[in-house]
Amino acid sequence: MDAITLEIFKSLFSAVAEEMGAALGRTGLSTNIKERRDYSCALFDAQGRMVAQAAHLPVHLGSMPASVAAAIEHVELGPGDVAILNDPYLGGTHLPDITLVMPVFVTQDGRESIAGYVANRAHHADIGGASPGSMPLVTDLFQEGLVIPPVKLVERGVIDRQLLALICRNVRTPEERRGDLTAQIGCAQLGARRLAETVDQYGLEEVAQHMQGLLDYSETMTRDAIRRIPSGRYAFQDVLDGDGLTDEPVPIRVEVIIEGDTLTADFSGSAPQTAGPVNAVLAVTQSAVLYVVRCVAGESAPANQGCLAPVRIVAPEGSVVNATRPAAVSAGNVETSQRIVDVLFGALAQALPERIPAASQGTMNNLAFGGYDPVRRRPFAYYETIGGGMGARPSLPGDSAIHTHMTNTLNTPVEALEFDLPVRVREYSIRRGSGGRGRHAGGDGVRRSLEFLAEADCTIVSDRRTSRPYGLAGGEAGASGRNLIRRKGYDVDEETPAKTRIALSPGDVLTIETPGGGGWGEAVP
Amino acid sequence: MPATPRVPAVVGVDIGGTFTDFVVLPSERDGALRVHKVLSTPDDPARAVLEGMRELGIGQGVAVVHGSTIATNAVLERKGARTALVTTAGFEDVLEIGRQDRPSLYDLDASRPEPLSPRELRFGARERIDSQGAAIEPLSDAGARDVARRVLDAGVESVAVCLLFSFLNPDHERRIRDALIEAGAGTYVYLSSEVLPEYREYERTSTTVVNAYIAPVVHRYLARLRNELGSGLRIMQSSGGSVTAEGAMARPIETISGGPAGGVVGAFHLARMAGHPQMICLDMGGTSTDVCLCPNRVPETAAWELGGLPIRTPAIDVYSVGAGGGSIARIDAGGALLVGPESAGADPGPACYGKGSSPTVTDANLVLGRLNAGYFQGRSQLDAGSGGLTLDPRRAEEALAPIAQRMGTSTMEAAEGVVRVANANMARAIRVISVERGHDPRDFTLVAFGGAGPLHACDLAEALGIPRVLVPLFPGVLSAQGMTFADVSREYSTTVMLRGDGLDLAAADEALAGLLERGRRDLDEMGTPGDAAVAHRAMDLRYAGQSHELTVPYDGENLDQVTAGFHEAHRTRFGYADDGRPVEIVNVRLKLVSPTDRPEPPRNAETRPDAGAACLATLPVVYQGVSHDAKLYARDRLRAGNVVPGPAVVVQYDSTVAVPPGWAATVDPYLNLVMAR
Repeated sequence: MDAITLEIFKSLFSAVAEEMGAALGRTGLSTNIKERRDYSCALFDAQGRMVAQAAHLPVHLGSMPASVAAAIEHVELGPGDVAILNDPYLGGTHLPDITLVMPVFVTQDGRESIAGYVANRAHHADIGGASPGSMPLVTDLFQEGLVIPPVKLVERGVIDRQLLALICRNVRTPEERRGDLTAQIGCAQLGARRLAETVDQYGLEEVAQHMQGLLDYSETMTRDAIRRIPSGRYAFQDVLDGDGLTDEPVPIRVEVIIEGDTLTADFSGSAPQTAGPVNAVLAVTQSAVLYVVRCVAGESAPANQGCLAPVRIVAPEGSVVNATRPAAVSAGNVETSQRIVDVLFGALAQALPERIPAASQGTMNNLAFGGYDPVRRRPFAYYETIGGGMGARPSLPGDSAIHTHMTNTLNTPVEALEFDLPVRVREYSIRRGSGGRGRHAGGDGVRRSLEFLAEADCTIVSDRRTSRPYGLAGGEAGASGRNLIRRKGYDVDEETPAKTRIALSPGDVLTIETPGGGGWGEAVP
Repeated sequence: MPATPRVPAVVGVDIGGTFTDFVVLPSERDGALRVHKVLSTPDDPARAVLEGMRELGIGQGVAVVHGSTIATNAVLERKGARTALVTTAGFEDVLEIGRQDRPSLYDLDASRPEPLSPRELRFGARERIDSQGAAIEPLSDAGARDVARRVLDAGVESVAVCLLFSFLNPDHERRIRDALIEAGAGTYVYLSSEVLPEYREYERTSTTVVNAYIAPVVHRYLARLRNELGSGLRIMQSSGGSVTAEGAMARPIETISGGPAGGVVGAFHLARMAGHPQMICLDMGGTSTDVCLCPNRVPETAAWELGGLPIRTPAIDVYSVGAGGGSIARIDAGGALLVGPESAGADPGPACYGKGSSPTVTDANLVLGRLNAGYFQGRSQLDAGSGGLTLDPRRAEEALAPIAQRMGTSTMEAAEGVVRVANANMARAIRVISVERGHDPRDFTLVAFGGAGPLHACDLAEALGIPRVLVPLFPGVLSAQGMTFADVSREYSTTVMLRGDGLDLAAADEALAGLLERGRRDLDEMGTPGDAAVAHRAMDLRYAGQSHELTVPYDGENLDQVTAGFHEAHRTRFGYADDGRPVEIVNVRLKLVSPTDRPEPPRNAETRPDAGAACLATLPVVYQGVSHDAKLYARDRLRAGNVVPGPAVVVQYDSTVAVPPGWAATVDPYLNLVMAR
């Protein structure tokens, strides 16, 4: 494929994914989709290989192809059909992430041919299970919520109302789910229409050829980037604070092996899968590796499956980075994925000391709560993640109060939150001094306090509450985070574990202090 | 014979990076438009404005509409005032936290822009309004005095005040202003409940802070111009309307991006007059291209940003892409040809300008013969005194050679590739504002301007199925010309958040009445009769639970009609509507327009099609790898009715128009070039 066509089709395909994303953000119903944009959209070739993804959330990156593969394998998809799934062991990541996959058929020479697939994934604020927000601290998948294997949600353009009813009956906020799923269907149909238009314009074969060309292109770019890393073996280990049930540290270890233009990430030596929900399914580990490779590749290579071609992942089955059914996985996607990135960068920093930043906050500080709102007379379920300190860079300090690595969701505006939910935000500020000191300081974390105005069942899934984001080149580690509760009528805070479930009453104040980023280089005295 | 109606002359003045443009609309109906350019004076932009006015012999009392870059530059170059921010205690960092997202997903070295009001100048006041507008923690007088004193002690020039839910209850913000003024703060105190009484604290804070940050700079600049030019001075706003200098000083934030707004207004008026009210603007400059779709009206948005800072005041809905004449082409590690967003800018400029060596879109156009070294724009004439600007085709070829080598093709093919990739970037931008928003490009006319727009317009039209292209008579000074068309207008909005079963338009009407009263008073104060202004009302609606609103016009319809209008707008924009789902009214909007007199441009009688008298030469131009003999025409010698068959190049003072093979350009009675296949 020539240089001109390559660039033009790169732009065409990513435009489809981006348009899908823009449409989903504007039509979604839940706060999590509309305000926080916790979703991703991508485009796949006829074999289900990811060709283009809109720049949304890295954690969805490497895991979307697994969804499409599962949908192709388990559902007979015809024109106008849309498959739905969230089964982490069959194309999903954790249950709140619901993925829709739609095939794109075009009529050529009088018969229907498959031109590719579009998919979108959105994090739903509730999918049932043991606690509101569906991030429960439990011991297996069945307690985590409704498991949806790959099945048809739309057949020849007609929504399966019975399936939708079944799903909605199993979640705490059915109207919101219905609205979000409707928006996801519209988004998939829009993407399918756009891809079909592209095929109409250029022809099936040419489009297929250019999709292959883009995969090759990303592969070339990635090989080129890997070649620029000094060959060698670089090992690094770090821990999660606990699995959600105990405070026993969960080690995650990687050895990155660079040989010419290939990279192997060997996670042997990482903890066995845990009883609590910090387990990552392989797709999540792949996402984290792809993210790191994509950052190191630097240039404008589209994040597609071609990036993974020169990459080999060794993740022992039954370990915390490749869990097996029915291990609980809700936090694997959001917490363990961050630590996988930390160990990968920690290893690569030995090879590329002038490029790799110190550790960022290394957690998403997941906060989920729900209950019944007596004033608005309706149930509520809410989920958010909170930014923290970015690790300092070799030539720059880290930014404060920002989402790093595997997520990039927005915050919910205080005024939007209070319009919709029985909470009052008491403080939302930068936690000064929490970033690690160094020649370049790590970014500071956040302090966010919520006063509850109704009874709420609340789950916190956070990390780096004991361990700290590492510094590099002599820079200090960032401060660990804290979760604090001040009960109504008391004037002292009690500190809660990193991962916990708490019943809150009106007047109780929950404060989350997120970690700072690590510093880079020795501080100048 | 009736006397020629006499209307006042209007002067449009637009400051650009290199030149400050003047367009003088004559006071006689058939008088010719005058165009004038002087070199910009970035160290003191007013100097070029005043110098140009002197050269034109225009004194006090003449209507002058001016689009200033002062505010934009103050923000981009961080040259605004030392600005304090007063917030609800505990929320001083909202401005810095923003929406907690990072600007670039995979770029480890990216950083967010620094807030305009730094941490040590942000102060908390103990108070709280809740989501119903109730003061659940009242602001004490002592508290107001205390925060005012801390602000004053910090030695700031300007203050923004943004408290939570102040759009529902502005009492605390007002009392803090009173305390600030009592403590000796100057005039630069701005309340979020007045600048932008809408919900979402970060965007409201950002908007209010930008306003405070630029206010002193804008005031000093406008006060000086007002002094020199008199009461005829009006300022172009981002929304496409103009206001008196006094009006602009009251809301400095609305002077941002007045120049580009002038371009859209100019293009829209000229195209509508010529019978093409459905049009898409293509304004291609040196570093970027702005596109804007006008479906019989100039579209507005209230969600845009400047240098990464969100602004929520009304602006023309322009979409920008980093592709311009100066965009640099290169082959990346994966073998793709990239064009932009890096730009050679005006300095060093494209390789063919003689200073730089990076291959750019302009270099590619020169190699292809679509730009001509001997007849390059009017800049060579203007620069004649200062050494001149001639294009060097040899340098352009040298710059493109390495790309051709990497691609294994001829320089000519590489040049065509650069143009194709640049066109693809621009086509994508046009798709975003047309197809993706429910408009079919085939129903539109592409109006091309800016130095480079007319070179690429036909290729773009071809790619998007746009049936015709219009190039106005003066495509290089359209922003200044557009300013002469700008009505006096002022816009207002406020959040009402009407939802639920008892949804009632009475509260919306009441809020609109309040806005109207305030608007008429504002217009009176700035010397434009408020009673004479026409009021346009609109509402921002959404489905219950959504967080993105659509603006729908509102003219006293009943609730059913309002919601029906919303469903329709939603269907157009997003492809579906849900008639059964409840609708919320988030904001109400009011625009007051006071139409200004403006002369109609002269209509020329059409002459014969033969354009031979305007032909200067025959030169080779490359399309699809084939060299064609193309005729070169002088725009100023073309007469109404002339037809220029492609392939041809039309050169003029401020731009170059490419007419590809298979296309023909017709000169219409207003001397626009209208091109079609």
